[in-house]
Amino acid sequence: MSRGSRVALRSLLTVLFFTSFTFARSAEATEKKPQPPETTTPAGSRPSTIIKELAGRKPPELTGTGDAAKKSVSGFIDWAASSTRDQADIVREAVAGAGRNQDIMAAFCHEAFEAQPVDHSRALVVLSLIGEARSKHGEECLAKFMALPFPEKGTVVDGEILEQTALATLQAKAIDGLAYLKRDTADKIVFEAIAKHPSRIVRAEGIAAYLYNHEYSDRAKEALKPYVRKDELIFLDRVVKREGEQKESFNRRLEAYLKLHPELRPPAPEKAQPEPGKPPAF
Amino acid sequence: MTTLTTRRAIAALLFVAALVLPASGALAVCNQTAASTADTALWNTHGCWQAFFLWSYKAYDQRSSDWNNRGWNDACNVNLEFPKHWNAAYLVTYGLQDQNCCSWHGTADYRALGEAAGSDFHTSLYHTCSDDNCCFGSFDPHLIGPDEISTHCPLYNATATNGNPGSRAGDFMHEGWRGWLHKYNWNNGSYGGHRCGTPGNCTAKDACDYFYFHGVGAYAFGALYQTDGTANRFHSPNQVQVEFLCDVADYSNSWVPASVRQSAKSDADARAAARFINGPGYKCGDPRPW
Repeated sequence: MSRGSRVALRSLLTVLFFTSFTFARSAEATEKKPQPPETTTPAGSRPSTIIKELAGRKPPELTGTGDAAKKSVSGFIDWAASSTRDQADIVREAVAGAGRNQDIMAAFCHEAFEAQPVDHSRALVVLSLIGEARSKHGEECLAKFMALPFPEKGTVVDGEILEQTALATLQAKAIDGLAYLKRDTADKIVFEAIAKHPSRIVRAEGIAAYLYNHEYSDRAKEALKPYVRKDELIFLDRVVKREGEQKESFNRRLEAYLKLHPELRPPAPEKAQPEPGKPPAF
Repeated sequence: MTTLTTRRAIAALLFVAALVLPASGALAVCNQTAASTADTALWNTHGCWQAFFLWSYKAYDQRSSDWNNRGWNDACNVNLEFPKHWNAAYLVTYGLQDQNCCSWHGTADYRALGEAAGSDFHTSLYHTCSDDNCCFGSFDPHLIGPDEISTHCPLYNATATNGNPGSRAGDFMHEGWRGWLHKYNWNNGSYGGHRCGTPGNCTAKDACDYFYFHGVGAYAFGALYQTDGTANRFHSPNQVQVEFLCDVADYSNSWVPASVRQSAKSDADARAAARFINGPGYKCGDPRPW
C-alpha cells in the first residue's frame, strides 16, 4: 500500500469513528423509541375492581392490653392510612372510643416515635389519630412529641433544612391535636409554640388550629395576639379555604382579606428579556 | 503496516464501545430500601397496573437509559424510583374530583403541566431522575430537543417529608410551571427561577416566589396557562404546587388514601407558610386532626 493510500485510509477511519461515536451518543440522548419498562409480576385486576374491595374492608378493632393492644394499634394504623374519604367518620369514632384505653394510646404513642425518623407519612397518620382521640393520654404523648429537640443543622434542599421541615410538619400535626383538646394545659403548649417555636410552619399551624377550634371568633384572635410575633400578625387574618366551602363564600372572604391587606398585592410580573422589536419599558 | 493494523484495531474497539456504552449511566441511586406509607397505600389501590405504566412512560417521555437502574426492568417494585414516579403520575391522572364549586384547577391543567407533550403549558419535555440533593426537582431547557424535568432523591426517600406521591406529583407541577415561564419568557427570579435570599415573609432561602391570589373558579379547567400579563392573572411555581397539593388534600376522589391526602396537605401548608414573599398563601382545609 502506498503512503498516500495509507494516509487516505487512516483519515477515512478517523472520520468514520468520530461520526459513529457522535451518532451513537446522540441516538441515546434523544432516544425516540425507548425499550418499554417491564416486570415479571403477573398482571392483576383493574383499579376500579381493587378500589371497591378496599372500600369494603372493616377496620381492625382497637382493643386489648399489652402486646394485644400493640398488635391491634399497628393493624389499625395500616388500615387508617389506606382508608377512604368516605370512611373518615369510622376512623374518628374508632379512635375517640379508644382514647380512654391507656394501653392503646401508649401503643399509638410508641408508633409515632418509631415512625418519626423512618416514615414521615406514617408518622403524620399516627399523630392525626392521637389528636383525633382527644384524650388525656393522647395529650401527654403530643406534649412529649412537641418537646423533641428541633435540629439546627442538616441537609439543605431548595432553601430548607430537610430534617427541620420533617420535624416541623409533624409537630404542626401534633399542634392540631393539642388545639383540638381545648384544655388549658394543651392550649398552653399551643401558645408557647406560636410565640417561640423556631419554625414558621409550626407557629402558623398553631394560630390556624387555635382559631379553627374557637370558630375564628374575634375573642380567639384577641387571646392569641400577645403570643403572635409582630411580623406574623397577618396569620390572624389569613384566609383558610375551608373544606366543602362553596366558591362564592370563599371568594367573598378572599376579597375582604385582600382589601384589608393591600400590602399583599404582588408587583407586576416581569419578562425575562425585552421582546425583539419592542422598545424598553419607560 | 503493523502500526496501521494496531490503529485500526483501536479505532474499531472505540467504535464498538461508543455504540455499546449508555449515554447516561448513573451509578448512584436514591434510597431504594423502602416506600413510604403513602406510596404503599396508593400503590395498593392499583396493585401495579401494568397497562398504566406502559402508557405513562410515553406520556412522561421516560427513557430506559435514564431509568435503567431505577426500576425500569422491575416496574412493579414500589421501592424503586421508576415505580414511584408512575405511582405519582397515576395520582395526577385519576385522583382528582375536578369540582367546579371548589377545586383550584382541574386534571386537564395538572396533566398538561406534568406530561411531556408540548402544549399551551410548555414546549415538549422529558422526565429523568437525579441523585443530586441540591433540590427536590429541576427544569433544564435544552437548545436542541425537548426540555428536561428531573426529580431528585428527596422525592423518593421514604424518610423525607416529600417522599410521597402527592409531593412528587406536586414537583411535576412546580417544574412544569417553570417550563411555562420559559415558554412565555417570564422572569421569576435569578436564583434557579426563584427570588434570592429570604425577602418579605419568605423563609426558604433562594426559593422564594410571589403568591398571585385568585378566587376559586377564576380559571376554567384547562385554562391555568392563561395570563393577562399582570399580577391579577398570573402564577408562580410554588403557587401552582400549593394549589395542586390543596386539590389533592381536599378534592381528590374518595378512594385516594388518607395518608396521601394528609401528606399533600402537610406539604401545601408548609410551603404556603414559608415560601412566599407576600405570604402566607392560602391554607387548605380545616386543621382538624383527622
